Amino acid sequence: MVISMVDLYSTPIILTIILGVTGLILPLLDAFRRRDMSHKVHGSIAFGALILSIAVILVRIASGSIPLGIVFTDQVIADDMFGSFFSIAMLIVAIVAVVSSIEYMRRVPNPGPYYSLILLSSIGMVMLAYSTDLLMLIVAWELMSIPTYVLAAFKKKDPLANEAAIKYFLFGALASGMLIYAASLIYGITGSTNIAAVMQALISIDQGLRPLAFIALALLIAGFGFKMALVPFHMWIPDTYEGAPTPISALLSAATKKAGFAAAFKAVIFGMLVFNVEWSLMLAVIAVLTMTIGNLAALTQRSMTRILAYSSISQAGYMLIGLSLAPYSDLAMQGALFHVMNHAVMKSSAFIAAAGIALVIGTMNIDQYRGIGRRMPLISLVMAVSLLALAGVPPLNGFWSKFILFAAAVNAGSTVSWAPYLAIAGILNSALSLGYYAWVIRRMYFDEPVTIPTVNQSYVYGRAGVLKIKEPRLILATLLFALAFMVGFGVYPAPLIAFSQASVPSSDVFSLLPIEVQSNIVSDQQRYGGSSVEMEVEVEDHGDGSHGSEGDAATITTVVGYEPSTLEGEDGTDTGSTNGDKTDGELNATTNATSTIGHKP
Amino acid sequence: MAEILDYTIVSIILLAIGIYGLTVKRNFIRMLFAVEIIVNAANLNLVAFSRLMPSPNATGQTFALFSIAIAAAEVAVGLALMIVAYRIYRNIDIKGLKRLSG
Repeated sequence: MVISMVDLYSTPIILTIILGVTGLILPLLDAFRRRDMSHKVHGSIAFGALILSIAVILVRIASGSIPLGIVFTDQVIADDMFGSFFSIAMLIVAIVAVVSSIEYMRRVPNPGPYYSLILLSSIGMVMLAYSTDLLMLIVAWELMSIPTYVLAAFKKKDPLANEAAIKYFLFGALASGMLIYAASLIYGITGSTNIAAVMQALISIDQGLRPLAFIALALLIAGFGFKMALVPFHMWIPDTYEGAPTPISALLSAATKKAGFAAAFKAVIFGMLVFNVEWSLMLAVIAVLTMTIGNLAALTQRSMTRILAYSSISQAGYMLIGLSLAPYSDLAMQGALFHVMNHAVMKSSAFIAAAGIALVIGTMNIDQYRGIGRRMPLISLVMAVSLLALAGVPPLNGFWSKFILFAAAVNAGSTVSWAPYLAIAGILNSALSLGYYAWVIRRMYFDEPVTIPTVNQSYVYGRAGVLKIKEPRLILATLLFALAFMVGFGVYPAPLIAFSQASVPSSDVFSLLPIEVQSNIVSDQQRYGGSSVEMEVEVEDHGDGSHGSEGDAATITTVVGYEPSTLEGEDGTDTGSTNGDKTDGELNATTNATSTIGHKP
Repeated sequence: MAEILDYTIVSIILLAIGIYGLTVKRNFIRMLFAVEIIVNAANLNLVAFSRLMPSPNATGQTFALFSIAIAAAEVAVGLALMIVAYRIYRNIDIKGLKRLSG
């Protein structure tokens, strides 16, 4: 198969050029100036490049030329809404990491390579989100991972940073080895690395090759699982997040993990073709395990970064709910994507707030957080808000994404009997997670202040005896942005819901094979004029059997919208579902009024 | 078809050796070798499939070239980390890495 040329004016190529050129220029600046310049210069340049990249994506989306959902072409990358969604989430985190590093990493030498590596890693994340070919996917995966190994160890003299990086490197290397092996098996089975071609080949896969395909997909999920912090593969997460510089922990937890999800979404889509039911159940079990074990382990921690690391593991479980229910409900993918965006902001702001506090008081131990709420009111406020958002407290953005995920789980209950238990597990885990989030908040606001052990003198002002703390300004700036995001989209989530809706691939996987899709998200936003979301489940049973594979489960289309009059065949809800018989569910195009995903004849 | 099976068996054995080395061995260099063995198991697969598939094509060989380059970059970073670790600990045994836990 010849890999055809990609369009040079597509978003991923433009982003690569912006970020790549800036990333290569940054270390050169040092060579010309012959002395280490301050982090301010390099950080500002990196910040500019990242802002420019987000602007490019937004302009491309606004121009209406980006197709909705996931598009699979015969090229290695496709300029689609799914990739744009993930790119924006990951670039926001990169911006947060860069701006807070300017202050947090002030004393660390070699600013040029530092920001350069963040930008190069961002290229990998962006390309990963847009890739439609396993070869591209793996190259982008490595481009994303290799700079972060170095970034984790950036404080060369710090034994903890080195240990964190070595653990991260060993697990990361094992993960990428497994991914390459999985890709080689898939290539052997299907004769292609293009995801669209792989899917087409898997539809008519030889029965004897099914076990091999299963091994390949399991290896893929395991490989992605290391980055996604799923439970059997989560051991390195707390150690690495604790030892690495905290802005880099934010980058790892909020951005590279999302890139793992972006890749897993694509893998699951073609995994769905081969293994319909067992596949989802396996992911659902991992989701519940991930949530529970992450939360239970977090309860016993005393270090803020470790708490956030375990909380990051448990949040991966919520996103995995969406992944496991993807075949049964459009809402599931939408909720997962929405949660990806929310988690990127919530978790990075929590990490940066912890970094800001550590910068002043010199420790991550939450026992030393007593009375911080009065001394550093703004940072503590953002920390409290982001922890509450992570727990899913109603007026904040985290509530809406969890709400959509649980609604999807309840909805899918008509198809798969175990789905509602996911919602129950999720709600119980949210309550459990409040156990440690509220503990931190209590330490900050309600406990009597203690003498802070080692206050960094550069952040103290005022006369002796009246200790006043000047909060780090750049960290505060990023935190206020995150606060605006969390509260703003908590009060008015409609635009983000519409954006994630536009990025969700249709649950009818066959329609994902290369076809023309054209639309813009404006009409989607119109449909989400208000804040209430009403859900209807419908099944249209055509029974045409055109796909012919015996494994097709009934496809349930979940319609979110305001016009129940456009729904047809609601009486069919009971027929094709509860008994799980093999009907060929046909996607009804009313789901997505703007997409031209057609009915199969 | 029998020929392709031979290659696959060898590659699966290599994968098993690699995973064994990575999970059991505690010397950093041995673990880097194990990573290399896993990647090369995949490369063997790719090249064999590329040549012996029912419809041979060059994608697999292209993939193998990329994967060799990627593995080289990865090992370079790994060796750099190891040198830094050696300067700190005077040792490259990862058993010593126990400061972060809890």
